[in-house]
Amino acid sequence: MKLCAIILNRNLPKVTDQLYKNLKKNNKAIDIFVVEAGSDEKNLSKHTTWHANWDEAKINGLRYARGFNFALSNMYKEKIFYKYDAYILLTNDTYFHDYKIENKITQIFKKHKKLAILSPCSNSWGEKKTIMNKEKLKYFWYIHNNAYIIKTSFLNEIKNLDQPGHINFLFDGNNFRGYGLESELIMKAYANDKAAAITTEIIAEENQNYLLKFSEKIKTEKYDENLDLYIKEGMKWMHKKYGFKSKWSMQMFVKVFYDKFFTTNSRLKQYKL
Amino acid sequence: MKLLNKIENLILNKNTTMLGVGPMSKNVVDSAIELSNKNKVPIMLIASRRQIECKELGGGYCNNWTTEEFSKYVKKKDKLNQIILCRDHGGPWQGNPDRERNLDIKKSMIDAKKSFMADIDNGFKIIHIDPSISNTGKLIPKEIIIKRLFHLYEFVVDYAKKSGKEILVEIGTEEQSGSTGTYEDLEDFLGSMKTFVNKKKLNFPTFIVIQSGTKVMETRNIGSFESPIRIKSEIPVEIQIFKVLEICKKYNIFMKEHNADYLNDDSLSWHPRIGIHATNVAPEYGVAETKALISIFEKYGDIKSRDEFISLAYKSKKWSKWMINKKDLKKDLNKAEIAGHYIFTNKDVIKLKKNFLQKQSISETFLNNFLKKNIKKSITRYLTNFNLI
Repeated sequence: MKLCAIILNRNLPKVTDQLYKNLKKNNKAIDIFVVEAGSDEKNLSKHTTWHANWDEAKINGLRYARGFNFALSNMYKEKIFYKYDAYILLTNDTYFHDYKIENKITQIFKKHKKLAILSPCSNSWGEKKTIMNKEKLKYFWYIHNNAYIIKTSFLNEIKNLDQPGHINFLFDGNNFRGYGLESELIMKAYANDKAAAITTEIIAEENQNYLLKFSEKIKTEKYDENLDLYIKEGMKWMHKKYGFKSKWSMQMFVKVFYDKFFTTNSRLKQYKL
Repeated sequence: MKLLNKIENLILNKNTTMLGVGPMSKNVVDSAIELSNKNKVPIMLIASRRQIECKELGGGYCNNWTTEEFSKYVKKKDKLNQIILCRDHGGPWQGNPDRERNLDIKKSMIDAKKSFMADIDNGFKIIHIDPSISNTGKLIPKEIIIKRLFHLYEFVVDYAKKSGKEILVEIGTEEQSGSTGTYEDLEDFLGSMKTFVNKKKLNFPTFIVIQSGTKVMETRNIGSFESPIRIKSEIPVEIQIFKVLEICKKYNIFMKEHNADYLNDDSLSWHPRIGIHATNVAPEYGVAETKALISIFEKYGDIKSRDEFISLAYKSKKWSKWMINKKDLKKDLNKAEIAGHYIFTNKDVIKLKKNFLQKQSISETFLNNFLKKNIKKSITRYLTNFNLI
């Protein structure tokens, strides 16, 4: 299985380069790309692949959805998209307890043919206590994370080729900060008879100190302001796109597909939460 | 099983979330009775032992009522028989802390039983058994909690049977049923409960308290129910609720959520749709009454009475357990609003209210109607969103 990791950077080159280095050192066969979400020229990673350098991206950044849309759509345009079997999408503030992840990811996808989205677990997540099976993996209908591993075959099924770029490809880039996008992605997986899982075989954490301490350097809003906008914009998007006025509508929507998945894939019930 | 049928009909056929109202004061009790009778909808009055306690154990802070007096009062006023009297968090060391602080487990169990017997004798219909707290603040091992729970469960059911009373039981606390443990823990707990009741030929409990992302601090709900971000070590509520409801369905038990105070209307309106069976709300109603009292002092320009009341409420320190920042000791209005309902039966507050009524030439009935109007507004928000009216 050929894996590709994409790291999203905004003005924190050292942090990004360290993540790049740790990943590369421990996973020789993983190709790693770096997408710059409107970083200043002086703050580019040593390993930059693409640089979103238009004015809006420089002012506001790209965030998770637009950043990975931009990277993945570029790969598609550069005809290297199908070279990989799965994509590891990481923000630069991610760190792994054990960076040796290639074999673990390969083994998991090899065993779980229906798996489209895989998320590492965190030691601080309550979900960790619920994943006590031998395989250290359960299928979930809700995964809130900044590190997803997505199978290319699934990406191919759901990709949006209407002007592919930072707005369209994998995520709906109209939702800038992305509240609700993870649920939409998981819904698309189960709606396509695929699954989303969390594994405790790989433990990753998000170092929120960067956002809390270096918001000015990153050139982003302060933590609380960002959180407020994240919800407001996300709810507006959810209402416009789905007519949902509450996060619970979205959750019940996803849960319906999740439950249906196990009626048609009863042999996978052991992985049902 | 008349009551159980009524509850099942409300929850399963009418798709409502049942409401438990904490008797924070006489006006809160009156408001709940009046609303339930006006709308012909059952409301559970969920009395903690600190609020309402049997005569032998000294009564509670709510209107200084004993269990006997409280029951008599409610039954007389509840003309349409819509109120379900419930014990909330009954068990050892759940009573008046001043009295119970130095009791050993044997004595506190005796007190807990006395309290339960008075509940059953006086027409309480749902008994929550919660032996999870200690008098020292130390955590009690799960095995001991369960052992005490089973002991009290058998006691309560046997006593009700001997007394010819229909009784339903609520079990669980956040500590022993899901929040901090795993779903396997919850299933184990319910499984051992099932084994126990089968062995003793008792009915399975009706409700189980399960953490669902609600937590009241100050005058806010700071739990994960409305939080868009992760709370350390907690399972996101988007997962937790659906999962525990599945487990409840499997064991044929209703989920009772505690501490739903201050959730917004959207969150509340989703309760029946998600399938949360019942919910307890308490401090919000006490705070609604206190705010209304402070506002009427202001409306009549009686700043002296207002400030005196705020001082008394602040001095009571009853706000301290609700503070997020335990080091914040500064006197402020918010602390008085949190603590107000605890001191309504304090002599100085009764005198202060009496003087206010005399000075302003207004009747006690007028004042209480004003306070109840505000409390009812708060209760009605839940009744409406829970599909009860």
